Amino acid sequence: MARSVGGVRGERDRIYVPYLLPALLIYTFLFIAPAAVTIWYSFTKWQGLGTTAHYNGLANYRAMLTNSVFLTAFRNTLILVVIGGAFVFALTFLTMVVMREMRGRAFVRSMLFVPCILSPIAIGTAVGFLLNPDGALNQVLSDVGLHSLTRGWLGPDLVFKCIIAAVVWISTGFYVAIMMSRVDAIPEDLYETARLAGANRLEQFRYITFPLTRDALSTGAVLWVIGAVKTFEIVIAFTGTAGNPPIQARSAAVEQYLAVTGGVSGTPELGSAAAIGVVMFLLTAVLVVALRRLLRSEAVEL
Amino acid sequence: MNPSTDDPAPAGTARARAAKRRPTPGKRAIDRLDALLGGAVKTGLWVWVAMLVVLTVWVVVTSLKTNGEVFTDPFGLPKSPQWRNYRLAWSVSGFGQAAFSSVTVVAAAALLTMVIATPAAYVLARVNRRSADRIITYFAIGMGIPAQALVVPFFLMSNDLSTFMTDWVTGWWDDRISLALIYVVLSLPFTVYLLTMYFRSLPTEIEEAAAVDGAGPTRTFVEIMVPLARHGLVTALVLNIVALWNETLFVLIVVGDPQQRTLPAALLELYNTMQYTSNWGGLFAGIVILVMPMILLYLWAGRRIVQAMTQGAIK
Repeated sequence: MARSVGGVRGERDRIYVPYLLPALLIYTFLFIAPAAVTIWYSFTKWQGLGTTAHYNGLANYRAMLTNSVFLTAFRNTLILVVIGGAFVFALTFLTMVVMREMRGRAFVRSMLFVPCILSPIAIGTAVGFLLNPDGALNQVLSDVGLHSLTRGWLGPDLVFKCIIAAVVWISTGFYVAIMMSRVDAIPEDLYETARLAGANRLEQFRYITFPLTRDALSTGAVLWVIGAVKTFEIVIAFTGTAGNPPIQARSAAVEQYLAVTGGVSGTPELGSAAAIGVVMFLLTAVLVVALRRLLRSEAVEL
Repeated sequence: MNPSTDDPAPAGTARARAAKRRPTPGKRAIDRLDALLGGAVKTGLWVWVAMLVVLTVWVVVTSLKTNGEVFTDPFGLPKSPQWRNYRLAWSVSGFGQAAFSSVTVVAAAALLTMVIATPAAYVLARVNRRSADRIITYFAIGMGIPAQALVVPFFLMSNDLSTFMTDWVTGWWDDRISLALIYVVLSLPFTVYLLTMYFRSLPTEIEEAAAVDGAGPTRTFVEIMVPLARHGLVTALVLNIVALWNETLFVLIVVGDPQQRTLPAALLELYNTMQYTSNWGGLFAGIVILVMPMILLYLWAGRRIVQAMTQGAIK
């Protein structure tokens, strides 16, 4: 008898384990297990290779709640996720209001996406040069008589605002692409009807585009949180790794990098670095679950 | 909420009524505001695009200037293009070496990821077992775990691996091999997930026909499914190449010798010496060297990259 369809399934079942096993083992033992071991390290004091780890309970976590350097790093990361996210999605919504019927929209969309595939180190180096105290931006400002507007853009007071602006500028194109690919799927006659009923663009957005892209918004918001919590490159590109970045500029990921490498002159604190990693994971998990709850909606079927 | 079910009246009559309704003065003011806002946003988008183009052109132009010109005339054209900036960046500032490291590490890691992920994704997409669904979720969890949760163990493991290989096995070790292995591990969850979704979107009839013709499952996979899934496989490969090309954190942590580091780290290294060397033209040449391959990749596979990154994200 020729092999039946059921036979195909049976055959495939035979390759199930051997095909799956390499990926599953690597993922389990080199991804999940190390992540779990990080939790154990986070309860130790460990000053790097060649020294031994000593169990010290919750001391690393307690330090994070009391040490102003850690607190600043986590506050910065949280500000970046919340404020930066508000800007990213506000800009994305504004774009969604007009982009559907805009001339040259395919070109604009593909251009906005470009910064997402470029190294943040490269972008940060170039933009950082413009923002330097004696850099081009201040030069231009004083040349056109706006000397009062010149600032130490990358100085302690403003640097984190510049970092947020850069992250927003780099990543918004990605979220525009996500949301617009969903907008593309909305049938044109819905907008046609709305226009006949006298609905303007904002009303069309409010009653058609927004409700019909809720699920993409929920995914986009989750991706934003996962990405923004990890913000690292742009900070060190703006501040350099020659000296330690100023405390005001540090994100949690930068603080962890300094803890692993010991920074410029210090000793590594591997236990504390592990604790930062754990808190970053928890932060991601809590925000993702909260967002999922917040943005949950019954699926809209067309 | 579905807007068309808002109104209990049949859609046709509602539409007709609405069309006849005269706009009130308030409504007209809102419409004007709406038109104003629309114009402003469109202009804003074009300004945004222009900024991108200007910044890119400015970086390329600056990379061809002398150090003096970079500062005295930041927005002018160079008197004569300084191609030596590129030559010096390539040979003296180590961008040649770094480009070699980037290309080999990224290529090896991206290909090895595909070799491991593709068969797994294929069976996960095709086998009707409850465990398959659970394992897909298990891989998806990895996409939400920040790499920072792995920094300390990877730092220690790569050190142990280097010591172990040097002392007991080969007598030498290259941290770039550890880096490539770390990249494979980090890319695995996303790649398995994306490819599983892709294999699910492919029709099953062809495999069934192949089985009827007597092809075993391995032959079906290698000779039929892999070529059939070519588009999805190339997309996954390209996405991993983009992500790994720009990766910086693990290079800095795992690769001890600055000479062996990849391009983003080489650029940082050069940036940090600027206050002593002020080789600004060379710095911008380095930026172009780091960014240009991704721009070319985007020109070649842009639509595919955007589609996979956005739709892969939504599914």
